[in-house]
Amino acid sequence: MTLLKTPPALARLTGGRRELVDRLFAVQSLVALLVVFIVAILASPTRDGEILFLTAGNLGNIVRAVSEIGIIAVGMTFVVLLGGIDLSVGAILGLSAVGTATLMVDSGYGIAPTVPAVLAIGAVIGALQGYATARLGIQSFIVTLAGLQVARGLARIWSGGLGIPIAYGDGPLQAPPAFEILNGSINGVVPVPAVLFLAVGVAAIVVLRTTAFARHVYAIGGNEKAARLSGVPVTRVKVAVFAVCGLLAAVAGVIHAGQLNQGSPNDGAGYELDAIAAVVIGGTSLSGGSGSMGGTLAGALMLGVLNNILALNNIDANVQLLIKGLVIVAAAGLQRLRRGVA
Amino acid sequence: MVPELVRMSGITKRFGGVLACAGVDFTVRAGEVHALLGENGAGKSTLMNILSGVHTDYEGDVAVHGEVVRLRDPADAQRHGIATIHQELDLVPQLTVAENLVLGREPRTRARLLDRRAMQRLAREEFAALGIDLDPNRPVGSLRVGEQQLVEIAKALSLHAQVLVMDEPTAALADAEVSRLFEIIDGLRRRGVGIVYISHRMEEIEVIADRATVLRNGAVAGSLTPAPEHRPQLISLMVGRSVEAMFARPKTQKPAAEARPLLRVAGLTVRPRTPRPGRAEPDGIDLSVDAGEIVGLAGLMGSGRTELLETLFGAGPAARVTGAVTLDGLPYAPKSPRAALARGVGLVPEDRRGSALTLPHQVDHSMVLSALSRLTTLGFVRRTRERASVLDMMRRLAVKAGAPTAPVGSLSGGNQQKVVLARQLMTVPRLLLLDEPTRGVDVGAKAEIYQILHRLADEGMGILLASSELPELLGVCDRVVVLRRGAVAADLDPADVTGDDVLAAAMTAPGGTDR
Repeated sequence: MTLLKTPPALARLTGGRRELVDRLFAVQSLVALLVVFIVAILASPTRDGEILFLTAGNLGNIVRAVSEIGIIAVGMTFVVLLGGIDLSVGAILGLSAVGTATLMVDSGYGIAPTVPAVLAIGAVIGALQGYATARLGIQSFIVTLAGLQVARGLARIWSGGLGIPIAYGDGPLQAPPAFEILNGSINGVVPVPAVLFLAVGVAAIVVLRTTAFARHVYAIGGNEKAARLSGVPVTRVKVAVFAVCGLLAAVAGVIHAGQLNQGSPNDGAGYELDAIAAVVIGGTSLSGGSGSMGGTLAGALMLGVLNNILALNNIDANVQLLIKGLVIVAAAGLQRLRRGVA
Repeated sequence: MVPELVRMSGITKRFGGVLACAGVDFTVRAGEVHALLGENGAGKSTLMNILSGVHTDYEGDVAVHGEVVRLRDPADAQRHGIATIHQELDLVPQLTVAENLVLGREPRTRARLLDRRAMQRLAREEFAALGIDLDPNRPVGSLRVGEQQLVEIAKALSLHAQVLVMDEPTAALADAEVSRLFEIIDGLRRRGVGIVYISHRMEEIEVIADRATVLRNGAVAGSLTPAPEHRPQLISLMVGRSVEAMFARPKTQKPAAEARPLLRVAGLTVRPRTPRPGRAEPDGIDLSVDAGEIVGLAGLMGSGRTELLETLFGAGPAARVTGAVTLDGLPYAPKSPRAALARGVGLVPEDRRGSALTLPHQVDHSMVLSALSRLTTLGFVRRTRERASVLDMMRRLAVKAGAPTAPVGSLSGGNQQKVVLARQLMTVPRLLLLDEPTRGVDVGAKAEIYQILHRLADEGMGILLASSELPELLGVCDRVVVLRRGAVAADLDPADVTGDDVLAAAMTAPGGTDR
């Protein structure tokens, strides 16, 4: 865990070097990602002198593996910046995967009506949750805990409790072959879900840095009363943020269906926790009002690299969990330290 | 000679490159109230933080009872008999008065259970010694700020404090509570307790303090016996220049024809769906503000000043509102602050930190928050325009900040208040509502804020200024409207009246007080 020891050691330095520390902390997620990456290279098994971790195939797999969590984490970042939390995203992913498989295979609709319909379902569930938190004043934790149950229940009812396989072809009960692209790669190297993840991530960075909407999100998360008195349309912003989060969870659900060639109602369980972990590791404060999208992307990739290197080394899955837990605590500890320094 | 409880000599303290205290000498004698004055950033907090063990790395000596000590932390300072009553009180609102009093050292029965009877006895004894009447079983959260403060004082004394540092103890108190606090401080003085009294309010210091020491730029600028005739001297010590006329209005006489009615309020009555205990809702208020006019709102705590401003800004609770309000001749009944802003009405709320600012957020982002729609195209913030208007506003209001991107929390109280003011001005309001705009703001920044208000009024803005500082109301306003129990008690011309007249109007009956 050398990666996590470096910043606290730096933090002990005083005087002129403080500035350097501050600057390092400002991009800490990137620095940490870089450190994890280097550690992964060093710890990687080799075959015929080739570092397995660094092979194009493996790197592609890492990003493919984190793409669903990553996309969900992007939506989660907006919610957390607002001072909220969304526990329903994993269930929405499951519901969307089921919806995709059902509409496309069982009902025989094409991609064009299916995907927008599924995304709309996710956005509407999110918007309803946002409305409930904003207007009824129920904590988002509780609202989305309920939303989780509802979405999961809907997924099971809709699918009859069973996974719906997706077969490709032009016949009845077959999905359009074009949908299989989600399982493919560009030039056989860059997986399509990875491209979608990066596209969503970059768009979110731009939104968060340049729009009035983002300013409103930060303002509400920092001090909701002040935001309201400053004329920020609090309800509208909250509804929009939760809608975006639901929409992105649905995007992840569509990708999930495409990658696994099926829509299973139980998929995505626990994804909300991985997404929250990525957000926290990325330095966004759970109390709202401060954080960055770049941090979340780095956090998601970091989790991916970590998973990958542990798997490459055949580390026991239970030990993997343990290590991930420690990393999250350490990351959260670093956030506190950073506030202490500043 | 009265024994010295504390002698701080040659105290120097640096934060990085910034010199916060430079060779400060400060003493506290038994049975005296020693006022510590200075603008924000003058070094008062740093000096007191050293005395209360918060800062441990300083040059110079702190002697308690003649013995040089180095206080390790606030608990260590407490052991040496030094206690601090902070502006933000350190009590647990859910616990009762007695429970707070013994927090961390609860008396136990033989079975190691809480000894509630001993707890209450201790509380009663302590209150009796102070001469205050408080039920030890009430939850602290249900007490008013003034009562909570008394609990805090009792707690400090029960820990055998001999030196009490009070940081702006009257900032959130009603006048009646202030006089009760002063009685208690007087009692403590007779018991031989030494009190360091930090405040911006000259009138209070003149009443309560035996000595006053003024800090400026981290050094002692001078020491005086506070008295009204020394006030100009004290102020000039604080700001380092003479403030010949704090309230001076650099104004050319306005022709009467220019007076244009802006806000008209007739019979405004608010009945909240769920009543708010302890608040006075507007109850048949008649009021007018002309363009270019500064109207003061006076009244005791709980007279309905804040509630009136909230209603006019659409920020009140869900309520049935009756009466006629017009703005520029058109009916005006804002449902939300957003709606009020859209009609050209701005509010500088009472509680800067709680209702206006997020301290870690950047100055520029905080300033433009209400005016983002003017600075965006298709939802995207236009950076160059934003930057230009922020810099322009910082220049106009003389906001002192390291950079527009510095966190708001790094600014002094006065400059934070200017950021709040700037946010309102960016929306180009026609009517500006201000609730205690100079609370916790140092003298220099106060004068600047008054100048800004005068300038805005001269430009034709209507201003409604609620304040509990009478000199401010009389010095700044064209008219002063006095509220009592949610209704207008008087409409006075500051030229003809004194503070006593305003107070008399604000109280229900001579001698009686109304909270």
